Amino acid sequence: MQYTLFITGSPYQSKACHTALRFIRAALNTYPNSIKGVFFYEDAVLIGNQTAQPPRDEINLTHAWQEIAQQHNVPLYLCIAAAVRRGIISESESRRYELDQHTLADHFQLEGLGTLVDLMNTTNNVIQFR
Amino acid sequence: MKHTLIHLNSSPYSSLACKEGLDLALVLATFEQPVDLCLSGAALALLTLKQNPTTEQGKNLHKLLDGLEFYDIENVFIQANQRLDPNTTWQGIQPLNDAEWHAMFSHYPQVFRF
Repeated sequence: MQYTLFITGSPYQSKACHTALRFIRAALNTYPNSIKGVFFYEDAVLIGNQTAQPPRDEINLTHAWQEIAQQHNVPLYLCIAAAVRRGIISESESRRYELDQHTLADHFQLEGLGTLVDLMNTTNNVIQFR
Repeated sequence: MKHTLIHLNSSPYSSLACKEGLDLALVLATFEQPVDLCLSGAALALLTLKQNPTTEQGKNLHKLLDGLEFYDIENVFIQANQRLDPNTTWQGIQPLNDAEWHAMFSHYPQVFRF
């Protein structure tokens, strides 16, 4: 069984990103190939903001997700429209919008909703965290 | 190809959730994925006719409803007991009784909520 995680809850107003993190750790520890990809949509894309600086005595959610991507080779997709609207800009999007900075954290990638459709059609289930 | 239900429960004017749920529905349909919509709670405001929001209030999402058929999105469900005024409500909805409404959610392999 392979799953897609679809995360829509804001990292600051819900526990969606936290709960999904616990879920994916448990899933990958037990079944290393059980997660094909993680798609962040709505305010959940804020997880990919490399300039966010949480207080040092709190979890750095962005780093935690980056560790998952590094250790388990799980792609972390942010919806490009939702992300750009919220100021999460990759280097290439930065050039396109003629900006002089970019904010997308490493190990996250901007993709269209078509990528979610592909994940939906190639995994057994999609689990939403909101 | 999985049949998807998108459940809108958020106000069209208090956050982007309703818009982003509709965006997902339209993208799924564009990729020829079967998709239905259901509305409850504050999202029912989407159905009210003659909306004229200002720029600050947000996009007029109601205008999208008449275009749903061009995306082959034919089913927009609500609960029958909502007492919506037919004179001021978009006509493309299909009211379901309580049993049908609750059964609906288990008919779909995927339900996304916004």
